[in-house]
Amino acid sequence: MAADDRSTVIDADLEQIRSLASFVRDRAIAAGLSDEALADLELAVVEAANNIVLHGYAGDRGSIRATAGLTENEFMVELSDDAIALPDPVFGDDPLPALTAESGRGLAIIAACVDRVAYRREGGRNYLTLFKAR
Amino acid sequence: MTSIEGDGELAVVRIGADRLDAAVTPAFKSALDEQLPAETRQVILDASGVGFVDSTGLGAIVGLMKRLPEGGTLVVASAQQPLRRLLQVTGLDGLFQQFDNVEEARAALGR
Repeated sequence: MAADDRSTVIDADLEQIRSLASFVRDRAIAAGLSDEALADLELAVVEAANNIVLHGYAGDRGSIRATAGLTENEFMVELSDDAIALPDPVFGDDPLPALTAESGRGLAIIAACVDRVAYRREGGRNYLTLFKAR
Repeated sequence: MTSIEGDGELAVVRIGADRLDAAVTPAFKSALDEQLPAETRQVILDASGVGFVDSTGLGAIVGLMKRLPEGGTLVVASAQQPLRRLLQVTGLDGLFQQFDNVEEARAALGR
C-alpha cells in the first residue's frame, strides 16, 4: 500500500504514533480546524492508534494506515489495520473508570473528543473512521 | 529528561518530554521510581514543557498521586491547553488542583 498526500502508513509501533499524529495535525490545520477541534482530534487519533498497537496487534508486527481529509463540513480520519477485529459495537456504554484508575480511559476519551465514529471490517482489515466538525 | 527536585517532603517533578504518550511514559515512570525521594508527601507536577498527554501519560500521573502517603497531595503547574482539556474530559480536573506556575503552587502548598 503506497501512501499518498492524503495517507500515511506507520509500523504498529508506539514510537511511530507521533508521526501519525503529526500527519493528521498537518492535514487538519490545512483544512481549517479550530485549535480546540484540532487538539481533540489529535488526542482521539492517538488513543485509537494506541489501541491498535497495544490491543489489536498486541506485540505482533503490523502497520497502520491513516487517511485524513475534509468531507463536506467534517474532517475525517480513517485508521486501517490488519489486526484482530474490534469488538462489536466498538463503543458500548464505556463509562470512564474510577478516577484513581491508571488505565482504561481510551475509548471514553475517543467518544468525548470526536463527533462520531464509524467502524467496518472488510477483507480481514479494520477500518475505524473518526469524524470531527471544524 | 524528567527532573525531580526534592526538598524534604515536597518534590517538583518537571516532565522532560514534549509529549507524554505511550512511547515516553515508561521512561517517565522509571525516572519517578529512581529519583522520587521516599519521604515525598507533596508533588508539584511541572507540565510547562508538555504539549501533549495521552491516557497512558495521564495514568502515570494518577499513579504518581497514588504512591504518595495518605494525606499527600499532587498538584499540576503550568499545564498547557491539551493537558487541561484531557483533565477536563476525564473528570480529573476535579482531582488535581491546577496552578499557572510552580511558584503559585509552592505558595498554595505553603512552601
